[in-house]
Amino acid sequence: MALATPAKPAVADAIGGFTPEVFARHLASLTASPAWWLERKRSAYSRFEPLPMPRRTDESWRFSNIAGITLGGFSPGAGGPDPRARQASEAFATALEATLSFLNGSLVGGNPLPAGLAAKGVVASTLSEAVAKHPGLLREHFMAQPQKLGSAKFAALHEAFIQDGAFIHVPRGVVVDRPIVIVHAVSGAGTAVFPHTLVVAEDNAKVTIVDHFVSNDATRQFACGANDLYAGHGARITYVAAQCWSKEALSLQFNSTVVRRDARVQSLNLHLGGKQARHESLSQLQAPGGFSEMLAITVADGARECDQRTLQIHQAPNTKSDLLYKNALLDQSRTIFSGLIIVDPDAQKTDAYQSNRNLMLSDDAESNSLPGLEIQANDVRCTHGATSSRIDPEQEFYLKSRGIPQKAADELLIFGFFEEVLNRLESEELHAALRKLIRAHLRR
Amino acid sequence: MSEITDTLETTAENPVSGIDQLAGDFKYDMTYDFDAGTGLNERTVDYISAVKKEAPWIREFRQSALKTFLSKPLPTHWASRDLETINFDKIRYYLSQGLKPKRTWDEVPADIKRTFERLGIPEQERKFLAGVEAQFDSEAAYSNIKEAVSKQGVIFVNSSEGLREHPEIFRKFFGKVIPTGDNKFSALNSAVFSGGSFIYVPPGIKVSHPLQAYFRINAENFGQFERTLIICDEGSELTYMEGCTAPKFSTATLHSAVVELVALRGAKIQYITVQNWSSNVFNLVTKRGLAHEESQIKWIDCNIGSRLTMKYPGVVLKGRKSRGEVISIALANDGQHQDTGAKMIHAADETTSTVVSKSISVGQGRATYRGIVHIPRQLKGCKNNTECDALLINTNSRTDTYPAITVRGDRHAVQHEASVSKVSADQIFYMQQRGLTEGQAMSLSVNGFINDLARQFPMEYSVELKRLIDLEMEGSVG
Amino acid sequence: MPSLEIRNLHVSTGDKEIVKGVTLSVNAGEIHAVMGPNGTGKSTMAKAIAGHPDYTITGGDVLLDGKSILEMESDERARAGIFLAFQYPSEIPGVSIANFMRAAIQARMAEGEEIDASGFYKRLYKKMDLLKIDRSFTSRSVNEGFSGGEKKRTEILQMAMLEPRFALMDETDSGLDIDALRVVADGVNHLRGPSLGILLITHYQRLLGYIVPDFVHVMIDGCIVKSGDKSLALELESRGYDWVKKEFANA
Repeated sequence: MALATPAKPAVADAIGGFTPEVFARHLASLTASPAWWLERKRSAYSRFEPLPMPRRTDESWRFSNIAGITLGGFSPGAGGPDPRARQASEAFATALEATLSFLNGSLVGGNPLPAGLAAKGVVASTLSEAVAKHPGLLREHFMAQPQKLGSAKFAALHEAFIQDGAFIHVPRGVVVDRPIVIVHAVSGAGTAVFPHTLVVAEDNAKVTIVDHFVSNDATRQFACGANDLYAGHGARITYVAAQCWSKEALSLQFNSTVVRRDARVQSLNLHLGGKQARHESLSQLQAPGGFSEMLAITVADGARECDQRTLQIHQAPNTKSDLLYKNALLDQSRTIFSGLIIVDPDAQKTDAYQSNRNLMLSDDAESNSLPGLEIQANDVRCTHGATSSRIDPEQEFYLKSRGIPQKAADELLIFGFFEEVLNRLESEELHAALRKLIRAHLRR
Repeated sequence: MSEITDTLETTAENPVSGIDQLAGDFKYDMTYDFDAGTGLNERTVDYISAVKKEAPWIREFRQSALKTFLSKPLPTHWASRDLETINFDKIRYYLSQGLKPKRTWDEVPADIKRTFERLGIPEQERKFLAGVEAQFDSEAAYSNIKEAVSKQGVIFVNSSEGLREHPEIFRKFFGKVIPTGDNKFSALNSAVFSGGSFIYVPPGIKVSHPLQAYFRINAENFGQFERTLIICDEGSELTYMEGCTAPKFSTATLHSAVVELVALRGAKIQYITVQNWSSNVFNLVTKRGLAHEESQIKWIDCNIGSRLTMKYPGVVLKGRKSRGEVISIALANDGQHQDTGAKMIHAADETTSTVVSKSISVGQGRATYRGIVHIPRQLKGCKNNTECDALLINTNSRTDTYPAITVRGDRHAVQHEASVSKVSADQIFYMQQRGLTEGQAMSLSVNGFINDLARQFPMEYSVELKRLIDLEMEGSVG
Repeated sequence: MPSLEIRNLHVSTGDKEIVKGVTLSVNAGEIHAVMGPNGTGKSTMAKAIAGHPDYTITGGDVLLDGKSILEMESDERARAGIFLAFQYPSEIPGVSIANFMRAAIQARMAEGEEIDASGFYKRLYKKMDLLKIDRSFTSRSVNEGFSGGEKKRTEILQMAMLEPRFALMDETDSGLDIDALRVVADGVNHLRGPSLGILLITHYQRLLGYIVPDFVHVMIDGCIVKSGDKSLALELESRGYDWVKKEFANA
């Protein structure tokens, strides 16, 4: 394991196992990459190094267990064949267009796109291939949006150490009916992975993407991932992420969604794993008619901390965003939801909604809600709400009086609670696949 | 008690004996009987304490608060950076028209009476003037406890008198509900406080008339640091009202009060504020109540005016079945930032808190809501309901909402809802078409928006509030 | 005789000219119906006369008793006696009908003069009874959550309370079922009299069956292309607007 030399603890805390030597070895391994790509990575590393770790007084880390965010003891993983990678994709096995499977950052398998779609110019490839073949698109869309939610340091780390990832490009007017599924697997204690999915849907294109994050063993791992979604004029993206890292993992994930005129992006993030899992999601409504629907389901159990930070920025008039994040809290878990809607001065007729609902299922669980608004236009419809409450004891009693045991009754009611989110998915198959993952997690 | 008498004896003849008047750069303005000059250091604090003939423990309290104040950074990591423009060295921390509160109207100096008159004291203030503890600059310039109230055993005095004459009652809670180090400005107040009201209501006494105090700032660059402590003993009830109107000044003025409320078992306290600071005032106030078993504390807080107001009235729900409530109305006009909200700290089972906040942003005004609702572990049956509504009137105005809600455990119900709406051009036109001027139409809309809250105010206050809104709206349209 | 005179009126919104030279005179005691297909500028004309800020009068004049009102603010025009019954009345949350009417009446009184509260309520209730508006509505917020019919009846109630000299009634029949239409028409007929002039804007003839106009004008593409008496309305009802359009095109 490539632990940092214990020379200066302060520096070691800020970079952990990601020392200049480790970075140099990483660069050396990328023999096939073009110079501009390596230069970008160098620049990212030079940003990462001096940035401080999150501090207690950082508003963007309020309520987070900052002590749990450490970079020591991790090093970039190495790939290899793995049977579990394929197995994991079976969770979303029905009616797929294509799959890509990554283990510890390297492509280990997958099924190519049908010839028809490939002929129309649809690309579902690795990022490393795209770096060579589509440098223009990468320059324009890869990690191109600002990091506004507190993780500039970790986003730079991601960019510096990213090994590979998925690149989906749907040309103008092309409709991809069935989902493209990407599996990002990690194995081995101390392994750090940097999964990435970049989706570019050109004008009037339509595509559904599934990211499935899985750990092959229950060891302490570090996932520092990102996904960039870009929906051109009138495009439609459905993005589903199922985060099933090990319960010992530290997970930091950054999402950026750019919505152009009349485009619509629906994203649903299911959070089941991680000892400490932070998810930052930024939606930018850049042109009139754009709509971003941001959905999330979290099952917080054990002593896990699930930390979600969201930002809906309305930069143009007549844009819409609708956020619904639901957390079920069990055991000694903690959740943090910190959301902000920003309406720029010119974004009149904005319609923005933000809702965080916490279902408290344990006396030791703790939910923290920070639903925020910053409104600078006056002709808007903006509401937000947050609730934390328990299962209605009347309902629970009713179920039990019919002979349903406590655990099963809870499960029923948890699904009832999540249904409002899952129902927003158009695809029955995805809906069913997510339910299955949640059920498996609850019965574990 | 002996330490107090000692102090009294040594300073009885000359309130500033023992103070080196040549030390430091105290400017002695003849208009005021006592003046601590500008700037703040240990000597300023000693001076204030000496002038007020305070017991050593209060002086030590002040000195230790000064250290806390100096060591604490401004809270600009979350609050407005406008705070950085306050020059603490240019502020006068103490002024007085003499130490002895005036007991009758005749004793009030003529020039002060004239100022009151020029300010146009509202009708209802005159009506209740007999019972008013009216603060003119630092000291109560006029104080007259209503006979009926004192007969009931109610103590209604200013802070100096309260600590001097009734330490056995007030010392126990003084600085306990809001510790000195709660924030930079509570520390500042603790170092230099003067004036304010100390009230004690004996068990079972229900004070039928609201007690009132009017605070005004009228010296340029003069911070006002009143300190209020209200203790309602078991089963007693009190309504306290404060109103503020300040004349306009050319440079910024700082107002930083600390208000502590204690409701013992079964007591009810209602604290009503309607304030209208001039638009150069920094109004940085800490208000908190401690609610014992089955007691109720209700803050009704209406903020109009000031350059920056930061005020988050709170209730610590310490006793089982206690209730806390904050009702807040904020109106931010051009160049004003109303940063208001509420803190509800649940610390016992079956406690209930309610927050209703309505803000109005006009012109370039900015209204911010910040809230904290905290329910720690191992409690049961706690409830909070928060509603935040913002009304935006012009395209340049701004509203922010930043609540923080922490809930531990599965036996509580917490709900926060917020919305933003506007007065539309169509609405204004509709009303103008019925013959109302734009200003009247605007004022009607705004009053309509806060109507359900204003109803909770005592009649004369809601009339005054409506009048203030009318005035604000008149100036807001072109 | 009191009159509302529209002289060669041109109205634009944005860059687009909607009303293109309308001339029309309404005397006290008269009811003029302005009919025409959708989008021909009828509502625009009414709103412009009332002083709506979205519409610019680019030419012509509007005279009340011979004096131009174009320099007046919309509220001044209203106090001068012009009432617009809106096609889509605004909802005003938190402002009760009673308070709204009191404020509007107070605005018409001289400085220092106070409204007589008991007289005000007596009058208000009388008019409400006439319009079959439940008395509980006085405490409801203006138009908030009202049905289409309730909104229109409230418009007529306001007209009755404010006693305008000229009323511009913009598509007052839209959104009304036959029962509601009757109540509204009865209300208007009750107000009808020698001191009130009415400009009735409508797309359909059906309202004119209940409120019989003295004059009927047809407006097409921003111009009045034909005028006549109530028989013209019936002709339009049976033959539609196309023949007038053709006549207009050929002229």
